[in-house]
Amino acid sequence: MAFPHPRGIIPSEIAFLAEMEMVTVVPRQRLEGLELLGGPIEPLVPPRRASLPLWLALLLKRQRRANIIPPAWLHPDPLGLILEVESQHQDYKNAFSPPPPLPGQPSVQDRAALEPIARPQYTPDGDRYYPSPPFLAQNTAQASTSARDMPALPFHWVEVGNMLLDAASDDLVDPDQTRRLLKDLREVRMAKMRSGVDVLDAAATGGGGVALTGVGAMEVGEERGFVAGVVNGLRKIGASKEQARREAMAEQRANGGYDGTQDDEEEDYMEF
Amino acid sequence: MDIDDILASVDRGAGASSASTAIDHQLLTRFWVAERAVSEVLPWPTALMERMMDRVRWQIETIEDLAASSSDAPDPSSKSNNATLNLRLSILQTDLARTQFLIRSVLRTRLAKLSKHSMHYLVLLSSRSTNPSATQSQTQPSQSSMDTSTATNTRPEDSVPDISSVTDLSPLSEAEAQFLHTHQSLLASHYAGSFMGAFPMNLRRLDDNAGGTSMVQGPENREVVFVRCLGGEVPVIVAAAAAEEDAIDIGVTMRMGDVWVVRWEGVRDAWERGEVELL
Repeated sequence: MAFPHPRGIIPSEIAFLAEMEMVTVVPRQRLEGLELLGGPIEPLVPPRRASLPLWLALLLKRQRRANIIPPAWLHPDPLGLILEVESQHQDYKNAFSPPPPLPGQPSVQDRAALEPIARPQYTPDGDRYYPSPPFLAQNTAQASTSARDMPALPFHWVEVGNMLLDAASDDLVDPDQTRRLLKDLREVRMAKMRSGVDVLDAAATGGGGVALTGVGAMEVGEERGFVAGVVNGLRKIGASKEQARREAMAEQRANGGYDGTQDDEEEDYMEF
Repeated sequence: MDIDDILASVDRGAGASSASTAIDHQLLTRFWVAERAVSEVLPWPTALMERMMDRVRWQIETIEDLAASSSDAPDPSSKSNNATLNLRLSILQTDLARTQFLIRSVLRTRLAKLSKHSMHYLVLLSSRSTNPSATQSQTQPSQSSMDTSTATNTRPEDSVPDISSVTDLSPLSEAEAQFLHTHQSLLASHYAGSFMGAFPMNLRRLDDNAGGTSMVQGPENREVVFVRCLGGEVPVIVAAAAAEEDAIDIGVTMRMGDVWVVRWEGVRDAWERGEVELL
């Protein structure tokens, strides 16, 4: 067996991804810049702040070579605010709170007025490339741009939050309260995920889908097996219905104008 | 830095600049997540993988050089220097191990898919072959081809399509195509030896499709996947009826930043354009 894991990345792989998020550190010792396979690392000169991938920041933190400045959202005040929105706000009764905007995407307040303008980068092969988490600076200390922006949970909030609480709790503001809020948030959101099972039928039809905007990576990982299984089952149950609908549509089209494809189909059928 | 280093950095060409290193790493990561998320084998990113393998080789050399320089520096006064050298070494090695994990996981995932659906991919590749005899059993599942196949192909090994003349190996890499053919040939001769040899002549083909049921199983493209929309607006498009190629059924429209649970076949084209990413 070349690879024993099921379809879709598993929680340990999601944590591996989350370790690629950039965080802000204050180094305690000098270190020259390094050319890593994940991109270059800037030279560390205390007490100047630097952005490092989380895995490297944790490695330095464990050896007491650096302190991690927690991301703006990992603080009791914004977490309390997000928890209030998730649990009380009328608009988010059945949805997750909005995620941080992608580059080029207007913030939540302006979304009605402004169109999103996707800003692609280009790959060495010349293709378009739109960066996304974990490669956006959503967990650096300067992450929130302006005060009027509502705090938002980044895609890897569960993993980053827990890893920082484990390894760098002395760098956090009120880690106990933070831990409690993270747990509450997780429970509120898990309940939403479960109550959403009713609408999964929509994803079982051809062009349909279920929106989960604002969901976290670990939450996707937890629900993937269940959701995929349920939708797969529903699709099989609904297969004959969908087939009938498609045939009806094909018939409508055939009535509009005859084309040769119908004929071939019939021929195939007769042979069996 | 001496002249050799400068020449070496020129030799590494466009892939050597640090911005493209970072983007390549992000592309590889995204490709890994995508490969893990769907049950078909995704098109092999040849250029990206070559660049990554070159960088891995180069990084291993750098690490070996550094390790060698640390061991043959017996100067006791450079103790603190040695400490940062060890730190740098451990950082470089961790980074290398993380990249190697990504590459290995991609390859193993693809191998698992290939061995699961080996006949499907062989038939897919051989259908592009210029040699028409290799494709006969698939292109016309009619009575006439059944007659010829019972006459000429009596061993399960004979039903393994020959892909040696195929030039377009997409979605596989060259090594994968070679593995695929060897694997399936071995499997077929094993089946022949263990039980298929006892079957009636006309039931010995591995791509048998008598009775309207094909024995070749492909990956399920109607499974749902989790995607994030990265482009401005992306509609979910599925073919409305199998008989009509151009007729399409446009489903929900995803907007930038949205996360959806949708059918893979509906967003596959958008994924190839890079407008959605799999989660």
